[in-house]
Order: sequence, then structure tokens, then C-alpha cells
Amino acid sequence: MASSPSSKAKTFKSPTKTPTKMYRKSYLSPSSTSLTPPQTPETLTPLRRSSRHVSRKINLENDPIDLPERESIEEINLIRKPRKRTNDIVVAEKSKKKKIDPEVSFSPVSPIRSETKKTKKKKRVYYNKVEFDETEFEIGDDVYVKRTEDANPDEEEEEDPEIEDCQICFKSHTNTIMIECDDCLGGFHLNCLKPPLKEVPEGDWICQFCEVKKSGQTLVVVPKPPEGKKLARTMKEKLLSSDLWAARIEKLWKEVDDGVYWIRARWYMIPEETVLGRQRHNLKRELYLTNDFADIEMECVLRHCFVKCPKEFSKASNDGDDVFLCEYEYDVHWGSFKRVAELADGDEDSDQEWNGRKEEEIDYSDEEIEFDDEESVRGVSKSKRGGANSRKGRFFGLEKVGMKRIPEHVRCHKQSELEKAKATLLLATRPKSLPCRSKEMEEITAFIKGSISDDQCLGRCMYIHGVPGTGKTISVLSVMKNLKAEVEAGSVSPYCFVEINGLKLASPENIYSVIFEGLSGHRVGWKKALQSLNERFAEGKKIGKENEKPCILLTDELDVLVTRNQSVLYNILDWPTKPNSKLVVLGIANTMDLPEKLLPRISSRMGIQRLCFGPYNHRQLQEIISTRLEGINAFEKTAIEFASRKVAAISGDARRALEICRRAAEVADYRLKKSNISAKSQLVIMADVEVAIQEMFQAPHIQVMKSVSKLSRIFLTAMVHELYKTGMAETSFDRVATTVSSICLTNGEAFPGWDILLKIGCDLGECRIVLCEPGEKHRLQKLQLNFPSDDVAFALKDNKDLPWLANYL
Amino acid sequence: MPAIAGPSSSPQKHVVGSRSESIGGVRSAEVNTSRKRKLRSDSAAEVSATVVLPVNSISTPMKWKSPRRCAVSIPKTSDEEIKEDSNEKLENPVISVCLEVKSKWNPKDDEQMKAVKEALHVSKAPSTVVCREDEQRRVFEFVKGCMEQKKAGSLYICGCPGTGKSLSMEKVRLQAEEWAKQAGLHCPETVSVNCTSLTKSTDIFSKILGNYESGKKANGSFSPLQQLQRLFSQKQQQSRSKMMLIIADEMDYLITRDRGVLHELFMLTTLPFSRCILIGVANAIDLADRFLPKLKSLNCKPLVVTFRAYSKDQILRILQERLVALPFVAFQSNALEICARKVSAASGDMRKALCVCRSALEILEIEVRGSIDQEPKGPVPECQVVKMDHMIAALSKTFKSPIVDTIQSLPQHQQIIVCSAAKAFRGSKKDRTIAELNKLYLEICKSSMITPAGITEFSNMCTVLNDQGILKLSHARDDKLKRVSLRVDEADITFALKEIRFFRNCLL
Repeated sequence: MASSPSSKAKTFKSPTKTPTKMYRKSYLSPSSTSLTPPQTPETLTPLRRSSRHVSRKINLENDPIDLPERESIEEINLIRKPRKRTNDIVVAEKSKKKKIDPEVSFSPVSPIRSETKKTKKKKRVYYNKVEFDETEFEIGDDVYVKRTEDANPDEEEEEDPEIEDCQICFKSHTNTIMIECDDCLGGFHLNCLKPPLKEVPEGDWICQFCEVKKSGQTLVVVPKPPEGKKLARTMKEKLLSSDLWAARIEKLWKEVDDGVYWIRARWYMIPEETVLGRQRHNLKRELYLTNDFADIEMECVLRHCFVKCPKEFSKASNDGDDVFLCEYEYDVHWGSFKRVAELADGDEDSDQEWNGRKEEEIDYSDEEIEFDDEESVRGVSKSKRGGANSRKGRFFGLEKVGMKRIPEHVRCHKQSELEKAKATLLLATRPKSLPCRSKEMEEITAFIKGSISDDQCLGRCMYIHGVPGTGKTISVLSVMKNLKAEVEAGSVSPYCFVEINGLKLASPENIYSVIFEGLSGHRVGWKKALQSLNERFAEGKKIGKENEKPCILLTDELDVLVTRNQSVLYNILDWPTKPNSKLVVLGIANTMDLPEKLLPRISSRMGIQRLCFGPYNHRQLQEIISTRLEGINAFEKTAIEFASRKVAAISGDARRALEICRRAAEVADYRLKKSNISAKSQLVIMADVEVAIQEMFQAPHIQVMKSVSKLSRIFLTAMVHELYKTGMAETSFDRVATTVSSICLTNGEAFPGWDILLKIGCDLGECRIVLCEPGEKHRLQKLQLNFPSDDVAFALKDNKDLPWLANYL
Repeated sequence: MPAIAGPSSSPQKHVVGSRSESIGGVRSAEVNTSRKRKLRSDSAAEVSATVVLPVNSISTPMKWKSPRRCAVSIPKTSDEEIKEDSNEKLENPVISVCLEVKSKWNPKDDEQMKAVKEALHVSKAPSTVVCREDEQRRVFEFVKGCMEQKKAGSLYICGCPGTGKSLSMEKVRLQAEEWAKQAGLHCPETVSVNCTSLTKSTDIFSKILGNYESGKKANGSFSPLQQLQRLFSQKQQQSRSKMMLIIADEMDYLITRDRGVLHELFMLTTLPFSRCILIGVANAIDLADRFLPKLKSLNCKPLVVTFRAYSKDQILRILQERLVALPFVAFQSNALEICARKVSAASGDMRKALCVCRSALEILEIEVRGSIDQEPKGPVPECQVVKMDHMIAALSKTFKSPIVDTIQSLPQHQQIIVCSAAKAFRGSKKDRTIAELNKLYLEICKSSMITPAGITEFSNMCTVLNDQGILKLSHARDDKLKRVSLRVDEADITFALKEIRFFRNCLL
């Protein structure tokens, strides 16, 4: 997007402006080509876009020109194409048509056309590397491609700015370092900033304007560019506002007849151009690799850009402005996304999957093809093409645009022991080792290894159960991590691992599509996924190329998948019993007797492999906490023991123990700060843990009852009194009101009146301190205390305002 | 097979059993008769096991054969006996093969271990389905009859899980195709559907239709069911007179609220020109009676074939059949037998028996590996096969109730809750609300000077106990009004908690 806040209006306008223009242009394109025949790129490039949006119409308009040539595809095996221009259009068109109806488009043609074909033969010479206008282009390079018809005439005149202008001073110095904002991608000179930065900070950095914008203020004072100076846009900005395109070179060749150089381009798309539009998770510099190809002349190629996979992208913080991220492939026909496994060999599998250009390969195969390794062409058409290629042959890299990406900003604050302890005790922190579960982990490892290490891989299931917070999931995950390391070391055969949390599924059936996506990378609806999975597991058909590997399916919260007729679980547990499934299922749930609760046919398929994670005892909890706190001297030993004993007595939940300790550390921190004396020991002591436990285990209702209004207190007291008097849990509002009035009378309080009393009753009912009979509020409504009367009495007893309440409790 | 022995022959067999018992502790060949007698025969067998065990570790097959022989030698006249005789002949070579080859099995050899595991895996279907010949024959006869007469028919197959229903159906399907080829009839089109894999229950019709007329274009205006109905109610041309065999596995997944789908499916076989043979497979024994009362009135109630749970002899035989293909002996035969006995007593589920065998194998594997680690060059014991004790360990792992261990490993407060629940349900009362249970819990806590947990904490603990299968919480809108009942026996709780001194007084 165009960069700074100052150009906000502009950025807003540009997307809306370009598409309309695009449509119009593309409609016009045939006529314009007829006027100026040599302008190939202009006609070519719009076709790519236009076919996506209004493809039918264009076909109609193109008909008079295209029709004869388009038919020629059928004969392409025998005859070379007459003219290159038409050839390209046809090819671009062809991939679309093929999807629709391959039979029809490749049917034999009438003799007239073939006649015309035979007269003209075409010869191509293919290269791996071409030097064009002093720049080397290789197969597999990523380049900017011009989109002439969109560029404004004046902008075309102007040189493309080699270096981005600073967003504050609007000048471009070559020798000062610029910093890039991670939000708006604007560039700033380090010394233009307020306060000026000495060096590029680590981590993400957001410019002052974006920060202000984020904080919610609408009025943002942004520097205006000086009068008369036009804001020059870099290629990156043009690309991201879809005024330029990026493509990957798939082939390079020269037409022997006229010596024109061509490339076969595989387009990249910006997120806005996909069906879904820009999503929130898209990065600013994200592109999608498409399966859309086109042949274009080398003339249109501007210069290199660098599209990287996420791993490289994160490393490429200093590589200049033309670095982009590509994580997914985008299928323009189906509108589906697929993760690019490796950008380098991405085109191989795309060929298999989409076989987008099989036929074309055949076409070329019987042409006379000479392959040269390298050829250099110098300045073929520099003068002719004006602005188009003037930027070619530049050198870029580090020295072009200073330091751009900003690493982490680390505060130079030294953490105290308590802070360190708090950080390591967070639940989100992954522990380095998992104590106390080595036996279970060994069992899981043995199970998985036993199932997948043989080459025949017999499908099996294992059911893992245990109360919450006993380390079920983390144990399995760490086992899988160890196994992955072993796979890399080569001692275990590779497998694919799909992890699913039942609670994260929108509905139990969606598990099929998640599994399918894990296996093949494609996202489809669950019905289709079920069908494909059935084919894969039950009948042994193949999905993609993943199928030779055994598959390990980890299903967390298995009990959520229990539907009314339990068909989801049946299917998942039935697949491992099929001969070719190679599926290993690990199910995790809290319920111990889930298999017994299921239909017998399902528990029969589940097998007998169970693993129980019992609740931790206090010694284990102690060990867990101490391993986490290893090297940090923040806790007294007795404090840890106290916390773990307390938790072990109630639930044995490790999460809870950690939370208590963390809270105790906070309490201790607060206490030490408040006392403001540098105490000799900065340790968490028993008393802190006691406070934390009180906070955690004391029920919130006591606190609520302690802080209710005066009248509510009297009301509750009356209810308790009533309960003591009658011994019945349920009373009616009528009777409570009578008691309230008598209590008030004896203690010199004013009786509030029935309607107010009714309202108080309702309020207590809303808080669920009192259970009200549902329905209309009236005099005879049944009331009942929601908590034990002892709790209520305890909460109301020591009260300074109304000491006499204690008499009734 | 003796398993299908009708009641008519049972008295005779009883005599045999008692006689063999009197002969001196040999295994009885008696199977699947009344419970009382079974008990008796079991006891006989146990006696025999104890007698035979020390002796037969070397020459098991001999001992195994001898009681059979003596059973055969007793004169019998019933059909079953003749059949058994023929089975006997079938079985004998199997055993002799075992005896002759009997190469040494080395559990340390990965290849051999892998072969055994594969042989025992559920997915590996044996080439012949033993012990289900009778049921298979009946189904096949039915299909054959329908195909010969070119009339429609329906059959319902029921049985417990793991009794070989689906496997047998697959075999019948192949058999029928073979037969049709030989008899010169049109090969029937077969549609095998597992109803769990359908996304919607009505999809079954489109699946049938899709198979039936893949060439003909779909008629858009009619639903697949209507098209099928039209197809079967009109007279067909000669070319379309192929029979269709529909096998619907797990048929009860087709039960909708109005039972429409299931009903229509069976009704397809009653249409005048219907050509489909419908075979439904499910667990419920009375699916047709319960859900399709209308069919009875139309007099097209499906025939029912029941697959009974496997008896111990059948399980034993199937296990042996699977292992006989291996060129070595991996299991001691009495180890297999105890597995068969235990599983048949519990459920008769073949899958379970296979799982138990595999886990016994794994126990052995671990043991062998451990012995290698300990003494690398010590003398290796002579016969490294899965023995009785391995199998018993595996069985106890499978069938042992974990309740006592679970209760003993509970946190103390949860133990107190269990204790108070045991006290609460000691009388005639079967369930109480959480509030009532809480009161009891508070009492115990107070009497032993323990700070009790709050009510919210208490109900959390009850949920955890519910998950562990110790308590049962019924659903209620209010936490407080949830009803609690005990799901384990009070004796178990007393037994589990009596070791802890604290609870001794509480439970009195």
C-alpha cells in the first residue's frame, strides 16, 4: 500500500481507481492492438487480469481477431505458430479453456486453418540464462513486470525512484540509513525521526504516525510533501497497489525469426487480487504464487525482485526494498490456497497437481529447439521502449536502501529473580523438560515407534486419559518432537503428523476436512473430505504424494467428537483396521470410561491400548515446580512444598500449582515493594503462598455476599433465619418479607416497603445468590439460598454497620 | 463346527463332556451350551489344564489331539457330529503342520516379530473365514436362490461387534460373483456401502442409483429414491435384467426419526420388478422388528441371520489359523487357550482377542530386550515363546478393573468425597443432590479437623470424579440440583480405602 499517513487519501483511492480502469482498458485492448500492432505487452498483460474478472466478455470482443489463431491449438503438435503475439494470447487463454472442457478444445479442426498454419514455421532457442540489457535473468528468478496501460502518462515519464524518499524530509540521500515502519512500510531517515535514533533497533518498529493512528486519534499531523514535488513511488509500492506485477520466470527463449526474447511468466498475486481479498493475517509484503502462466516479451520485464519463503524472509531483513514473502500458492480457477512446500521446487509439484501446461510441453517437444546455456544481448531495444526498460541492469542489494527491517527491541532492564520466576511459571512458557512423566512418555514412544517403524505400518489406536492438568497433551507433543528429531537423524522412517483439538472444530464433522488438509494441503468441505479420506484409508487410493508415509493423528479432547450417532468416531477408529490405512490414532480425553460409554462397535475398534495419566501427588508437583524454577532463587523450599501439597490434596492439577506459585510471586513482589526496605531475603515465603491459595480457593460468592448492600444483607439474614426456624430449604417471598419487617421493627430499622424488597430479591436472584422460581415476580414466589447457610452466615457475621445481624445467624 | 450345535444334540454332548471328564481331565470339546453346563465343563478344563500344563510344554499338539480322538470314537448319530468330524479332518493337518515344522522362533529377530504382528493384526483378513462357514453358507444360499429365481429379497444380519460379519459378507460377495460366472448368469452388480461413511442417510439411494445406471444421465426432476422406485416398478428390457446385490454395513446409521430411509430401502425389494438383493448388517438383533413393524404386515420381513459371539474353541481355532501360516511357533498353545477362554467369557470379540495376543507379544518383546541389556552373552533360554504368564499379564492389563488403583491414587479431598458418597448410598437411597453430598463431606471434614473446600471447588471435584467413572452426575440446570449417584461398588471403595488409616473410622 502506498506508504505514509499523509497519503492516506491516496491509498484509499488507488484500489478503487485501478480496477475500473482495468476493466475499461481490457475491453478496449483488442481495438488498441489493432491500431498499434507492435505493442504486444499491453495486450498481453491485460488479458491475464481481465480474463479473471470478465473473461467471457473479452472472449467475445476478441473473437474477430483471435478466433482463427485460437483454433490453432489443436494443430499445434504438427505446426508451428505463425505469429508470436497470437500464440501468447492463445496460450494464456488455453489454460482457462482446458479446465472447462478439454475434449472440445482439442478436437480436430477444419482444413482451412491448418492450411494457413503450414506456411509459417517458428523456431525457438531456449536458454537457461539470458543477459538482457546488462542484467542476467535466469530461470526461476522473480521479476517485476510492467503493466503499461495502467501507468499514468506523467508518471511514466518520471524515473522510477531508485531510492525511497524519507517520509518526513521527502528527500532521498544515498548515504544515510533508513528505517522501515512495519505497519505502513514507509521509510524514514534515522536522523529525521523525533527523537532521532542512533541505530536501527532490534525487533519490530512502528513509526510515530502509525503509533498515533493506532492509539485511536483521528487527527494525525503528518508532514506534507513540499510543493511541486511529486511523490515518487517505488516499484514495491506500485506492485502492492497493483500497478505493477511480479512474476517468476519459468522459461526463456528467443524467437529465431525476429530475434525477440520471450519469457514464460508465472504470476504472483497480491492478497487484494484473490477471491478472499486481503485478510487480517496477510503481511504487508505477502504475495501468492499462482498457477497462471503467460508468455511475455522480455521488454516488459523491469528488474529483479526477491520473493522468499517465510524462513528466508525472516532472515532477509537487510536485503532492500524488493523483498516479498510468499507462503501459499493460489489456484486462480478454484480460488484455493495451498502452502508452498519449498519455493525452489515448487513448480514440480504444481505441474503434477494442476498439470497446467502439459500440453504445451508436448507442443514444444517437436519444434526444433536449441538449448543454449547463456547468451547476452545488449541494449536491444533500449531506445525504442523508452521508460519501460530504463531501470534494467541496475545493481541492487544492501547498499541500495540502507537498513530496512528492524529486529527486536530489547529493553536493557535487568530482570530480578522474582520477575524471572514469574516468567517461567507462566502456563504459556514451555518447560525445557517434563519430569514425572517419563514412564508414560516411554510408553507412547514405544507405541508409535512400534506402529510406524515397520515398513508395513499396521494401523492402531491408543486412548490416553487423565484428569485436566496432568500433562497429557504436552507429553504426546514432546514425544512427537523427539521422534521428529529421530526422523531427521534417519533412524525412524518419515511420517506425517496431524494434530487436532476437538474443541477447536466448529463441528465434529469438520475433523474430516482438517485431516484432509493435513494430508494433502487442500482445504475442502467435510463431505468431500470424508469421501476422499474413505478412498484413501479404506480403499488405499492416493491423495497427493503424501500417502506412502504413515500418518499419525492426534485428537485432543476426543469426547467432543461424540455425536449423536457417533459416526465421526466410528469412521476415525475404523480406518486403522483397514488393510492399507497406515493410520495411527492417538486420542486424548479426560474421561476414563469413554470407550465404555461409546457404542460397543466403536469400543471394539478402539482396541485395548489405554494409557492413564493419574493426578500428580505432592512430590511430583514439587519436582515440576522446582524444575521450572531451576537456577532461579526466588522461592523458599517450604513455600513450594506447601503449594504443591495443597493442590495435590484437592485436584493434583499442575496448572493450578503453577498458577498459585506465580500468584505468590506477585504477592511477594508487591509486599517487598511496599515495605520498601531491601529485605535480606527476596524470597517467596509461606505467607505469600497462603494468600495466593486463599485467593484461588476461596469461593467468590463469599466476597460477593460480603459486599452487598445493607438491605440485601438484611434480606439474606432473614432468609437464613427463616431456614433455621422452619428447617425447610425453600421459602416464599411472602414469608421472607414478613421476617424482614419483624427484624426491622425490633432493631429500629425502617421497613423499606414491599416493592423495594421485591426488587432486592430480584437483584440477589440475578447474582444467583438466591435461587428464584422462574416466571413472574410476585408475592408467593419460591426462594431458596444458592449457597450453604453456613457460608451466608460466615459472610454476614462480622459486619460493622449492622452488628445486630449476628443475633439472627 | 460344534459352536452351532443345536439344542437337540446338546444332551448327547453333555454326556460326552462328563465322560471325558471322567476319563481323566482332558479338554472337553463341548461348546456353547447352557451356562450351567459350561461352567462345569470349564471347571473340567481347568482341572485338565493344571494336570496337563507341566507335561505338555514340549509336545502340546499330541495332547491336544488326543481328547478329540476319543470324542470322535464315541458313536454318535446326529448331523452335527458328522460335521464335526469333517471339521476334525480339516483341523488335523493344521496341527500336524504345526508339529512338523516347529522351527525355533527367535523374538529378537525383527523380521519374524514383524511377521507375527502382521499375522495378528485386525486389518489382515485371513484367506478363509473359519468358524463362520455355516452362516456364510446360509447367506450364500439366499443370494443364490434370489439370483436363480431372479427375484428380489432382503436379508438382515446381526451380531455383536467383532464376530466377522463384514468379513463374511465380503467373502459372500466374492463367492456370489464367482458362482454367477460359473453358472453363466449375469454377474450381479454389487454395492457395498458402509453407512457411517454417508454424509446423509438418503445418500444411500443416490449411491445405489449411481452404481446401477452410471451410463444413463441423471434425471434432474426426481430424487434418487423416486428414480429407483420407478425403475423397479416398470418392466425392464432384457438388457437391464442384471441383479443387484446391496450390502449395507452398519445399517442402523440409516435410522432417521421417521425411519423413512430404512423403510424405503426395504420396500425397494418388494416392488414388482425389483431386482435387488438387500443385505443389511448391524449389531441390534431386533432392528427389523423394532423399526420396521410395517414390513411385517406387508409380509416382506427380511430373513435374519445371527452371528453369535465366538466361543472359546472358535477363538482358539481362528488364532491358530492365523498363526499357522508362519513357519515357526510363537505362542504356547495353552497361552492361546487362556486368551480364548477369557475373551469368550467377556465378549467373544475377535478384535479384542487379537489385541490381547499382540500386547502379550509386546510384553515378551520388552522382556527379551531387557534380558539382552542385562546379560549380553548369557545363555539364552531355550524356548522364547509367548507363555502363559505373558498372556496373563496382557489379559489382566485388559480386563482388570482399574477402579481400586484409581481410588487409591485420588487426591485426599476427592477420596473424602468418595468416602462420604459411599456412606450416603449405604441405605436404600440411590441418588442425592450435590448439596446433600456436600453436607456429608463437610461433616467428615469437620470431624477430622480438615479445612473443607468451597462449594464451587466441591462441584469441580465431583465433575472430575464423574469423568473418572466413580460418581455419576446427572445433568441439571443448576449445579446444586445435580443428582449424584455412585457408579462403583461400595465394597471396592471400602477395600481401596481401608489401607489408609484416616478413612478407617469414617467408613465404619
